[in-house]
Amino acid sequence: MKLLRTLVLGALGLVLPLSAHADTIKIGLMCPLTGGWASEGLDMKQIVGLLTDEVNKAGGINGKQLELIVEDDGGDPRTAALAAQKLAIAGVSAVIGTYGSAVTEAAQNILDESEILHIATGATSVRLTSKGMEYFFRTSPRDDEQGRVAAQYIKNLGYRKIAIVHDNSSYSKGLAEETRAVLEEEGVPVVFFDALTPKERDYSPILTKLRSAEPDLFFYPGYYPEAGLLLRQKKEMGWDVPMMGGDSVNNADLVQIAGLSSCEGFLFFSPPVPADLVTEKGKAFIAAYTKAYNSLPNSVWALLAGDAFNVLVEALRHTDGSSEAMAKYLKTELKDYTGITGTFSFSATGDRVGDLYQLYTVSPEGKFVVKR
Amino acid sequence: MSPGIFAPFRHAAVPLRRRRLREAGFVIIPAERPEEIPAIPQTCAKTARKNLPDAIMDQFLQQLVNGLAIGGIYALVALGYTMVYGVLKLINFAHGDLFTIGAYLGMTLFVSMGLAGKVPAWAAVALVAVMVMGLVALLGWLLERAAYRPLRSAGRLSAVVSALGASIFFQNAVMLIWGAKYYVYPEAMRPDAILHLFGMGIPVIRIVIIAASVLLMLALYWFINRTRMGTAIRAAAIDQGAARLMGINVDRIIALVFLIGPGLGGVAGVMVGLTYGQISFDMGFSYGLKAFTAAILGGIGNIPGAMLGGMLLGLIETLGAAYLTMAWKDALSFLVLILILIIRPTGILGERVAEKL
Repeated sequence: MKLLRTLVLGALGLVLPLSAHADTIKIGLMCPLTGGWASEGLDMKQIVGLLTDEVNKAGGINGKQLELIVEDDGGDPRTAALAAQKLAIAGVSAVIGTYGSAVTEAAQNILDESEILHIATGATSVRLTSKGMEYFFRTSPRDDEQGRVAAQYIKNLGYRKIAIVHDNSSYSKGLAEETRAVLEEEGVPVVFFDALTPKERDYSPILTKLRSAEPDLFFYPGYYPEAGLLLRQKKEMGWDVPMMGGDSVNNADLVQIAGLSSCEGFLFFSPPVPADLVTEKGKAFIAAYTKAYNSLPNSVWALLAGDAFNVLVEALRHTDGSSEAMAKYLKTELKDYTGITGTFSFSATGDRVGDLYQLYTVSPEGKFVVKR
Repeated sequence: MSPGIFAPFRHAAVPLRRRRLREAGFVIIPAERPEEIPAIPQTCAKTARKNLPDAIMDQFLQQLVNGLAIGGIYALVALGYTMVYGVLKLINFAHGDLFTIGAYLGMTLFVSMGLAGKVPAWAAVALVAVMVMGLVALLGWLLERAAYRPLRSAGRLSAVVSALGASIFFQNAVMLIWGAKYYVYPEAMRPDAILHLFGMGIPVIRIVIIAASVLLMLALYWFINRTRMGTAIRAAAIDQGAARLMGINVDRIIALVFLIGPGLGGVAGVMVGLTYGQISFDMGFSYGLKAFTAAILGGIGNIPGAMLGGMLLGLIETLGAAYLTMAWKDALSFLVLILILIIRPTGILGERVAEKL
């Protein structure tokens, strides 16, 4: 038994130094390459891979080449824990990933105990950053941020009498209440606040009631089937109040359900699709990505891994590369960094500060276009 | 004595004479002189600020129309429940799903026949509605043969379980055939004219649908009370054994009931598609539940009761949402149902019958 252990340890001792070149910086990427989210994971791998090659071609960081180690988490918390352990043993300086809050959470503790910088990319659950973990960051927004974003848009568009109706689901109700709270803080009156029953067909009683409150904007943070019906029936009533939705109306079926003439001018905010990125870096990256892989990334979530890589490179460039120094740099010195998905900073808890969302409107042709 | 089933409208409205209409403030214009129709004032709709009582009245009227439109559809679906219950004392839980199938068939027929643009929209809609009525009626008949007739001697509970099974079967069949996504009725099928009346905007389609459902209900009412077949149905509802002794083929009567009820349900499905545009595979559940409630409210087994119950439920729901609480709309409707059942356990028009579920 003792002999066996000696042998194994000896073998490990031989293998590990061989794989680690002294002049490389190892970066770990956790992503779902198998399972239901595999397309996201593949995008993440391709995006971070492309960015790594770019940095290496330009001479690396402080003369050192980057070495990317990709581990598959299968979109599953148990596999993710294993993947995090493998990356920790491989001696990476930082880990990027992953997609899914529960999956990320499984890796979180392991990386924290190993004191490895961890930048999550598709993890929106609020509690991930409320544990006081020193080395945890995320480039994705938090679930509770949408309400603030909604209120900001409503205020900036100049609306003064707001009607809010939600559908009693926890997502919709939470967003509606959050939005109302921020609006009232900002002094924008909410003149109507109530819920409707989803999965029905006839919302004309609700719209008739809403109309008598005379709002100048109708905010419906629910899903697209009801939003479409509301738009259509609002039009049928001959009521032209502008309507706004959240990211759960971002589905092309909305136009079909509402009818082309009813949904023109409908507003909603949502994380942008990759083709709609506004920053220079984002546009340039999409061009490079399309050239390399002949396709667009499927969603913005994978691109958040690209921004995680970008801020990591910044941290590596400006510090000695220790987790402690990098975390301090990201929290205190990196301000208003303009990456692929927008301009952002990190808060003291490691949350992304800065909008990911964009305001969309429906064009007369029924296309979702970014409203400028 | 008729035990409530298909009890005739003894106090049905007698058509008002023209003179009485005039007295009531209506203007009667002969069809051949349409130029005399006065322009409908649109001032109410246009004025930004109306005086308060007017605004409240307008809103009330609008909600009344909203409620009747919803109620008309509930009533049409409720007829299917009540007819089957009247004859078989069976609650056909699959009825809501036959309604869904009607909605999907309507869309599919319209698209596959390529009627858009070739014939006037109203003709296409009428043709599709008749075809759907026929097809869903056939399906209802098949359902009775496959799921209910073999169990007829096995007691009521077995039939109810079979009905639940049929409901699940149909719902999943629709999902597998058409898919789980929402479907939308083609725009070409849906007239989008809006009638401006008393400061309200009412989509013409809603008025057409209220009218069509009332017409269908009257036709059914006439059929049940004025034809030999109808008399046979009523006889079978009162006492199947006695009806059989009188030379009535009860099996055929039951089959007939399963043609009429689902046929009407199928048409109601097309109407929902036409009114709201959007249909989904699971829509039959909520409409079925509401229509079933309407049938109980009016007195299950009673045809005028189903019509009344449907309209009433539509109004309770709408006015409750408008003036009390929107979020608790459904709870409110069921509260009213419970209250009515406490006062009248047989429903509003239901009569006391010795044997009832």
